[in-house]
Amino acid sequence: MEKEYWKWKEYNWKDEDIDWKTGDIISAGVDVGSVSSQAVIMVDGKLFAYSNMRTGSDSPESARKAMDWALENTGLQLKDIQYVVGTGYGRVNVPFANRTITEIACHARGANFMYGPTIRTIIDMGGQDCKAIHCDERGKVTNFLMNDKCAAGTGRGMEVFADLLSVPIEDVGRMSFEVDEEPEPVSSTCVVFAKSEATGLLRKGWHKNKVLAAYCSAMAHRIVTLLERIGVEKDFCITGGIAKNIGVVKRLQKELGVDILETTYDTQIAGALGAALFAKALIEKSRK
Amino acid sequence: MFEKFIDWEKNRHKYAKDWKKRTGGKVVGYFCTYVPEEILYAGGILPVRILGSHEPQDITEPYIFGMFCPFCRDCLAQGLQGRYDYLDGIMISQSCLHIRQAFTSWQKHIPVDFDYYLYMPNKVQSKRAYPYLRGEIADFKKAVEEWTGKEIRDSEIDRAIEIYNKNRRLMKNLYEFRKEDNPKLTGLEAMEVVISNQMTDKEEHNKALEEVLKNLPERDLNRETGVRLMIIGSEDDDTEFIKMVESIGATFVVDDHCTGTRYFWNEVIPEEDRLMALAKRYIDRIPCPSKDWEDRLRIPHILNLAKEFKVDGAIIIQQKFCDPHELDIPAIKKALEENGIPTLFLEFDVTVPIGQFKIRCEAFFEMFMEEDLF
Repeated sequence: MEKEYWKWKEYNWKDEDIDWKTGDIISAGVDVGSVSSQAVIMVDGKLFAYSNMRTGSDSPESARKAMDWALENTGLQLKDIQYVVGTGYGRVNVPFANRTITEIACHARGANFMYGPTIRTIIDMGGQDCKAIHCDERGKVTNFLMNDKCAAGTGRGMEVFADLLSVPIEDVGRMSFEVDEEPEPVSSTCVVFAKSEATGLLRKGWHKNKVLAAYCSAMAHRIVTLLERIGVEKDFCITGGIAKNIGVVKRLQKELGVDILETTYDTQIAGALGAALFAKALIEKSRK
Repeated sequence: MFEKFIDWEKNRHKYAKDWKKRTGGKVVGYFCTYVPEEILYAGGILPVRILGSHEPQDITEPYIFGMFCPFCRDCLAQGLQGRYDYLDGIMISQSCLHIRQAFTSWQKHIPVDFDYYLYMPNKVQSKRAYPYLRGEIADFKKAVEEWTGKEIRDSEIDRAIEIYNKNRRLMKNLYEFRKEDNPKLTGLEAMEVVISNQMTDKEEHNKALEEVLKNLPERDLNRETGVRLMIIGSEDDDTEFIKMVESIGATFVVDDHCTGTRYFWNEVIPEEDRLMALAKRYIDRIPCPSKDWEDRLRIPHILNLAKEFKVDGAIIIQQKFCDPHELDIPAIKKALEENGIPTLFLEFDVTVPIGQFKIRCEAFFEMFMEEDLF
């Protein structure tokens, strides 16, 4: 079978230093996105375990799989988790969720945890949409803006490009800088239009790195226009899968002229992490 | 309690056909709420507002510009599909170019016995607007008389004004019940009432309204009010959208739509010169953005509504490509936000992408959510 370059690696992680048995509050968040799904388990508000997988055609099944994988080798079982918040595009299809909260609220909350209370503007660059979010020092949303109704300039678009150019998705960002000179961005981020434009550029003799550069640059520009509509208040960060693509991130930073905060956390789990934090707050609330 | 209105709204064509059979009268379809309906009504004619059906269609492609608003295309589609085949006439008052093209295209491709274009001045704030519109209404009255072969007497105009004014008062009384902490009716029910109002005989509508108003004080909706919302914008008869929003923790308590309050908010103040009284009513009504200049008089009105109806947040929604609304929305948004009312902006098409609107609405409502989760 031909290699599928868009397929990023799925994984799970757990903190070996935390013994959940000594924990008091065990909460979880599940983010079923349009492209990827994550489950995050927290013990007393500390990140304990998580998973990151591709969303299948069946949302409840994707939620279950993500949760099972996060639980793997932790000794925990689903019944040990006191409260689960579902979020993301498939949030209503998380069978074991006690409540749903939108990914907009969850990303703000998650970013507040990952980057600290100085965060005021978040760009969540997801699989099929892009959201600019303003929040206060507690991670509560104060304003937000979503991109329009298509997948232009989002993670799925990047996957299509990786496949078209036979470049593993993880390498797209790095390779997009291996060019003699920075090209003009492709004229449209619409996946269909950009793909035919890219085909034309390749035929004209462009190296694929240069085509990648042109696409990353167009995507960065599109996000800037979204941000300009809502305004960028510092500190600024990016969540979601595209935050891992330096080809977009660095170009965005350059065009915006604002520092983008970095984190040691996995940017793709921001939504599920925020959901798990809300779950913790809801447990505490019920105990009062 | 609102079954009758819902039935009228859902079966509008059946209602009009039955009315014709019952009364032997003529039915005129109108495209814009600047039409002085009282003249038609005085002439024994039933005015019905032409609205779309919110179904995807491609029938209008050859007949109207594709980048005109979805509403005007949806209206024209109804005509092209023969759904208004019972109309004896159509008319419009000048408001925006998009809906006017729906009218002119209808004139050309779906000919009817009577069609009329009434030049409603755009600069309603001009001091010459009253006499100008009075003259236009006089011409219009004459045209109707020639068409029906019957003179419209003053007493008939008086009666029409009385019935229409009564309807406006009853509608305002109905909206009063939305001011309560637990509104006595949902936004969806209010929409059914106000839409059906534009396609039924006002005398009948008044009777049904009186019935509802009698029973409303005792009513307990038994539902969480949630976020108190105002909805502002273009023509809007999208019941599906209202239903969706009210199912996720919010209630619409008031609107500023031409299919809503703008339609009935102002009464005719009777005076000896009946046509002048009518002209003043249509010049002074809560304006459509195509006429709200050079001063934006709608903004203080909207702020006032927000205060009276104790609004928490506002959804600002416009038909895609609607230039007049696009021009006003930034100013309206700013005014509301300066007064502590957060806004959410959305754009209508013939059908709304429910999932994508839902996430935006839910996230908007979460901005009002429990403080103790933080």
